Amino acid sequence: MIARRSAWALGLVAWLLALGGCGAGHERGPVTLVFKYARILGNADPLPELLRAFEAAHPRVRVKGEALPWASDDQHQFYVINLEGRSPGFDVMMLDCIWVPEFARAGWLLDLTSQLGPDELAPYFPSAVASATYDGRVWALPWNFNVGLLYYRTDLLAKYGLRPPETYEEMVEQIRRIRAGERDPALDGYVWQGKQYEGLVVNVLEAFWANDTTLMAENESVFPEPARAADALKFLRGLITTGVSPAWTTAADEELSRRAFGDGHAIFLRNWPYAMDLFEAPGSAVRGKVAFAPLPGRVRGAPGVGSTGGAHLGVSARSRYPELALALARHLTSERAQRAIALGAALSPTRQALYRDRDLVRERPAMPRLQALALAGRPRPVTPYYLLLSATVQPEFSAALVGVKSPERAIADAGARLAYFLQAVR
Amino acid sequence: MTGREAAAQRRALVCVAPTVVALGALTVYPGIWVLWLSLQRRIPIFDVSRFAGFENYAFLAIDPRFWSAARTTAVFTLGSVALEVVLGVAVALAIHAQARGRKVALSLLLLAWAMPAVVGAKLFEWLYHPSAGLINVALGRHAINWLGDPGVALPAVILADVWRTMPFVAILCYARLLAIPADVYEAAQVDGAGRLATLTRITLPLLGRILLLAVLFRTLDALRAFDIMFVLTGGGPAGTTETLTVYAYRALFQTLQLGFGSAVSVVVFALVMAVAWAYLRLLRTNTVAA
Amino acid sequence: MRALADTAVVLALVAYAIPFFWQLLTSFKPEAELLRVPPLLPSRLTFSHYQVVFSKSLMPRALGNSLGIATLTTVLSLAAGIPAAYAVARLPLPGKRLLLLAIVASTAFPQIATVSPLYLLMRALELRDTWAGLILVHASFALPLTIWLLAGFVREIPLEAEEAASVDGAGLVATFRWVVIPLLAPGLASTALLTFLFSWNEFLFAYTFTVSEASRTIPVALALFPGVFEVPWGDIAAASMLASLPPVVIVIALQRFLVRGLVAGAVKE
Repeated sequence: MIARRSAWALGLVAWLLALGGCGAGHERGPVTLVFKYARILGNADPLPELLRAFEAAHPRVRVKGEALPWASDDQHQFYVINLEGRSPGFDVMMLDCIWVPEFARAGWLLDLTSQLGPDELAPYFPSAVASATYDGRVWALPWNFNVGLLYYRTDLLAKYGLRPPETYEEMVEQIRRIRAGERDPALDGYVWQGKQYEGLVVNVLEAFWANDTTLMAENESVFPEPARAADALKFLRGLITTGVSPAWTTAADEELSRRAFGDGHAIFLRNWPYAMDLFEAPGSAVRGKVAFAPLPGRVRGAPGVGSTGGAHLGVSARSRYPELALALARHLTSERAQRAIALGAALSPTRQALYRDRDLVRERPAMPRLQALALAGRPRPVTPYYLLLSATVQPEFSAALVGVKSPERAIADAGARLAYFLQAVR
Repeated sequence: MTGREAAAQRRALVCVAPTVVALGALTVYPGIWVLWLSLQRRIPIFDVSRFAGFENYAFLAIDPRFWSAARTTAVFTLGSVALEVVLGVAVALAIHAQARGRKVALSLLLLAWAMPAVVGAKLFEWLYHPSAGLINVALGRHAINWLGDPGVALPAVILADVWRTMPFVAILCYARLLAIPADVYEAAQVDGAGRLATLTRITLPLLGRILLLAVLFRTLDALRAFDIMFVLTGGGPAGTTETLTVYAYRALFQTLQLGFGSAVSVVVFALVMAVAWAYLRLLRTNTVAA
Repeated sequence: MRALADTAVVLALVAYAIPFFWQLLTSFKPEAELLRVPPLLPSRLTFSHYQVVFSKSLMPRALGNSLGIATLTTVLSLAAGIPAAYAVARLPLPGKRLLLLAIVASTAFPQIATVSPLYLLMRALELRDTWAGLILVHASFALPLTIWLLAGFVREIPLEAEEAASVDGAGLVATFRWVVIPLLAPGLASTALLTFLFSWNEFLFAYTFTVSEASRTIPVALALFPGVFEVPWGDIAAASMLASLPPVVIVIALQRFLVRGLVAGAVKE
């Protein structure tokens, strides 16, 4: 008797479970799109409003925004683990531009080429479109843009009759003069990002480019001129040992360096455009005293080149609603959306026309200059191996910066590891 | 074998069947699989999947980052365990000597042990903050770049780990001390033994066996440690806090080199098992001698 | 004299727990005062960080996930572990020595060694981002320790108690239910507590196998706590307090079981 009743109960439970499981497949209710992105800094987060506008235009569609971890490497690891793990989780993904070739190669992104109009990509920066393209096809829509800039204290430079430096040697000399004059022990010279993370590779690459070499050449050979690369690393290490840059540079990311400069404790800063808005915010210690210039070069006449960066919006290849997801991506990269994001947050648009937009220029007068610098910027190696490259060289560069290894050893070790790993994928 | 004995054996097998299945499927099977993976070059992103024999191990043998990670693991383990044992015994003795307030003392101690390692890491990340961290505020002008200076980062991580795991050793020793009958101490007092002599000749030897066990557990845990350095420093700066486990994880999931990462994992596996085996032998001879 | 020493010990342990108290204070400090130290003490206390954690973060959902997964792991682990421990301790088992060796070896197993094959396995079985996947993995890692501890507790039960029951005509199941389990209760409590803590605190597998808030546990939610460019120390402090609250409360309330459990596996052979 008891056994039969338990069997009934078990059967009922099993049936309910099966029902619950089946029910998920028949979606007759509202569609939910999942949008993964990193939270946007700024006075007013414009994203929720943009998402609601999309929902209003598409009844029965809900957009759920989910935040990513805050560091680029952690975001990448999150995506890799989950996209390789075949989780259907997301529909629209915010991607650092450096990941697009890799994700496209891995088959995680939806090929958008056939869906895009003939001139749909014309308004964007060419380098942004280039980094969204792999193997001749388009895999993402450019969303916001970044380029490495040299921020400087206009008041200090003016006080000593100096103009923004064109070479690093000039900058070091200017720092020496200003510090000798100011006699402020808390004033640092040049702050940049030397922590062991993606930002370090950006900083080192810019030093490589200034030294007329690079990480990966056109023919995909790694460290084509190891001596020049080691020289550039030596220069960066020298900045720390000679005190031009503070010791904590080796632990500095964008925010740590931005804060130091924003509190008035540095003369020069290498950072992305977002920082300008924060320096101009009411209550900022350096309000009205900051401007930006192109990064210095090593040789007079050859200007420094800033690394470009930014985020793209991609559609997951396993999304259940690809057309809606693409519509959402288009909505977020539209002119209206990019203007709202540029106004409300500190992110620069990828549509070139917006850099001359009246409202934007009134709010941020430096926009046209920024556009010129953006056009002169250079992307990090656009290759599906980029993350493999970056993950391998980060500890080596960091070791050279903190003095644990000589720059030559660091480059040699990095080259050897890369040879082993790339040998498998070529 | 009688029918009854056979029935008892069948019953025993039924009792352990779920365990055997679970362990077989989720521990033994993956254990063999990871060995197999380590012999391959397997990178899903690039559709690479081929047998490579001992290539990965050959590379590890000359890989400076591997040896650096091995060194870091050794330093972390030795430093951590030594500190925990010394502090743990001291705290256990102190609490055992207490007449009143033991429960409060134990509760405070358990506060550190109960929390997840990730929480401990966040706690110490905040403490080690270069300008706003409690430690640097206390040090004032002599502030140290705790998580950014390659010379200091590993001790900083060790400290964070010891803080969280010392209570384990302390409680083990404390429980053992509770089990020592009072007349042992009375006899010592009658014989005229002083405090130090009591400590070194009676208490510590009695704690000996449990200390050995504590050292065993803690060594195995320290060799396998992952959470605290992964969350606190991510292996930096310049890889000075990158242990073998972090190196393996990065190889596996940062770049999806499943073959190479598995090779590093197998090394950790072998190391941990070797240490476990050595300790168990030591324990067994200790038991026989005792 | 003794009272002075006692107080000193307690004070020393309060000092030891300062990292915890500092984080607690930070969770109530206003945002603007976080990075401006000294002064160490806040001018006023605020709940804003907790508000952020409860309304805008994934922590509440992660709390639910952790509670569910840890509880079910404990239940599953005990369900499989109790009969196995009894068999190991009491019954004639063919291959007992081999099994014991496997169990002892399993307690030393490094999780990093199995994370890559388990990742592939979970992917194939589509158990990623589910409670079930994580529960199975947690339970299988908790099982060896559970059996080791429980076997020790089972051996403590006097054989006469069981023999008396069978003399009275009770079958094996009844003996188990009415004699063994009640006597095992304190040991069960200790083991359950340790298993629950293990599952709650587990990070490596949870980080690798959870994708979204559907299954993300507390340690992972904390590690992935989103900041923007800068780290929200106050919010993280509040989230940390939330993450440690259940285990801390349980551990302090059930202190004596904890001590018993830690000792049982150690003191007994």
